[in-house]
Amino acid sequence: MTSDTFQTGLSRRHFLSSTGIGAAALASLMNPQLFADTRAPHFTPKARRIIWLTQAGATSQLELLDYKPGLVTQFDKDLPASIRGEQRLTGMTAGQKRFPVAPSVYKFQQHGDSGMWLSELLPHTAKFADEMCVIRSLHAEAINHDPAMTLLQTGHQIGGRPAFGSWVAYGLGSENADLPAFVAMISRPSGPTNAQPLHERMWSSGFLPSRHQGVRFSSGKDPVLFLSNPPGITTDRRRAMLDDVAALNRLKFDESQDPETQARIDQYEMAFRMQTAVPELADLSKEPASIFERYGPESKKPGTYAANCILARRLAERGVRFIQLYHRGWDQHGDLPKGIKSQCYDTDQPTAALLTDLQERGLLDDTLVIWGGEFGRTVYSQGALTPDNYGRDHHPRCYSVWMAGAGVKRGHVHGETDDFSYNIVKDPVHIHDLNATALHLLGIDHTKLTYRVQGRDYRLTDVHGEVVQGILA
Amino acid sequence: MLRERDPENRLLARGARYRLAGEFVRDQALAASGLLVEKIGGPSVKPYHPPGLYEQVTAGNGYNVYVPGKGDDLHRRSLYTYWKRSVPNPAMLLFDAPFREACTLRRPRTNTPLQALNLMNDTTYVEAARFLAQRMLREGGDTVESRLTHGFRLLLSRPPRPAELTVLRAAYERARVDFERDREAAKAFLAVGDSAADATLNPAELAPFTAVASTLLNLDEVVTKE
Repeated sequence: MTSDTFQTGLSRRHFLSSTGIGAAALASLMNPQLFADTRAPHFTPKARRIIWLTQAGATSQLELLDYKPGLVTQFDKDLPASIRGEQRLTGMTAGQKRFPVAPSVYKFQQHGDSGMWLSELLPHTAKFADEMCVIRSLHAEAINHDPAMTLLQTGHQIGGRPAFGSWVAYGLGSENADLPAFVAMISRPSGPTNAQPLHERMWSSGFLPSRHQGVRFSSGKDPVLFLSNPPGITTDRRRAMLDDVAALNRLKFDESQDPETQARIDQYEMAFRMQTAVPELADLSKEPASIFERYGPESKKPGTYAANCILARRLAERGVRFIQLYHRGWDQHGDLPKGIKSQCYDTDQPTAALLTDLQERGLLDDTLVIWGGEFGRTVYSQGALTPDNYGRDHHPRCYSVWMAGAGVKRGHVHGETDDFSYNIVKDPVHIHDLNATALHLLGIDHTKLTYRVQGRDYRLTDVHGEVVQGILA
Repeated sequence: MLRERDPENRLLARGARYRLAGEFVRDQALAASGLLVEKIGGPSVKPYHPPGLYEQVTAGNGYNVYVPGKGDDLHRRSLYTYWKRSVPNPAMLLFDAPFREACTLRRPRTNTPLQALNLMNDTTYVEAARFLAQRMLREGGDTVESRLTHGFRLLLSRPPRPAELTVLRAAYERARVDFERDREAAKAFLAVGDSAADATLNPAELAPFTAVASTLLNLDEVVTKE
């Protein structure tokens, strides 16, 4: 083999280091494109793609999904020490003299045939009560935003591991040759609320090959970085230039026989196709007026959560595997009633519109939609409590998210918290369990999707995670 | 032929070819075009950067907007590029620069369409192409061939082979005729970047040479260590 190494471009080292596991390595050599390689799942999947509607900053379960009618009589009473236990609090409230219970100022109602209790803040989403599977018993260890979000996205509190979407891109590849398998989009709150920072690591491929990195779509001139040609360069000029680049690279390839050179020729062609495919995708001008009505008043403004929801549907239609939205601004330490209302204004109608769109197109049958944030919020008020105003601190011990679509129970509530939504009393679900379940729905055994680095096999769920059978349809 | 005389490479006269690290890809383009500012040390600088990336992700007044530098700051070695952990330099990330959060034992060397888009369209490389073209015109003699050869050598340290020169000459001729017909486009193309175009040079010549220089900057051999 040694002599071959330098005589042909296809060295043993090149072959082995080229990419991940078994067939994937070979497939990548034979088909050196970034996006267009699909790989078989471990078993028949229920979901072909995931839309993750990440509500960044930590949504309050008490105002939205975890109905606690008994709290009304507890107003301004101290949270019993027996409930509080020895749990760690953040530095923002650990020093408070009192922990007064703050019932939700927002009312709940039963919806649908399932009679699911949902908040008046979610009038649009509530129409999908019979499609939703609410988990009221999710929990995490991290108590601050960055490690908690990193845990939610990568299965570990410390940065450096691949994002969920990167694992999926690595494990399943893309169904669309002209678009990335993993797309992330971010929106800022419209109201004056506390928007915690995010971090590029949330959609990073970590130690996985970086072609599995999430591609951030922006709302500006270039939905994908560096997508447009510079001033003065038309599509025809770009095409001619690419022909020259290809001709010169082919001359080089004839001499070197390096498959990387051939790959680069292909990648330039892919780049050219993306220059057409991405603007076509991001162009909402041909969407009918009824669509903008459905998604609400914010949907015509590029970069809003509502506009991103329309894009999410368009990405799903085009076979993008993992579509992750982030809406910032759920961190209501103070003025929660006002802040959460404006967050719901931003997100409720567009979220429901997305579900409607998916349903109309039959996409909800093979798309898993997940809605939620990195942890929950405390039942006790942070700062002053009045009948109509209060704040809530971080609370990772229990919180609520919902899923809908492919493979999950419909009109179902999983897990239960105590009367104060402070501790889980039934069917706890850890982030690792949620991730294991989502992978399961994609047809992936979370214990088998591994990547070897630094001397051991890593997975999204690391050494944890149980598939939550109770939410599977 | 080395491969015949020493098939097993016992004399280590050759090695694997591999893609340059992102920093080197940029630094090389700046150096070959003559844009590189060789100053050593000092505070970090902010080169060209797509707008809007900080605003989407970061919080805090005054730190959530990326304001590119001016003058020399745009053309320092990539080593001096300002690095924000939550939003690292996007072009460097595309070329596999690590996040600098966790220990990186080995940088991957990917080959992606996003890198192609960066090299084709990033202001950094469009401006560098113009400066490379200026060097071709000023230093490359009087014929089209000698000028193309000069640009090629500046990037690859070797003259083009006849077949390569044929492609480059045809590319130049096509761009020349094309921009002759569309002078507005030529003007816009030459205005990319903060540095002004050399006013002593004829735009009708500079534009097609800039187009060819951009082609050169995108070649596999240019971003690869041979």
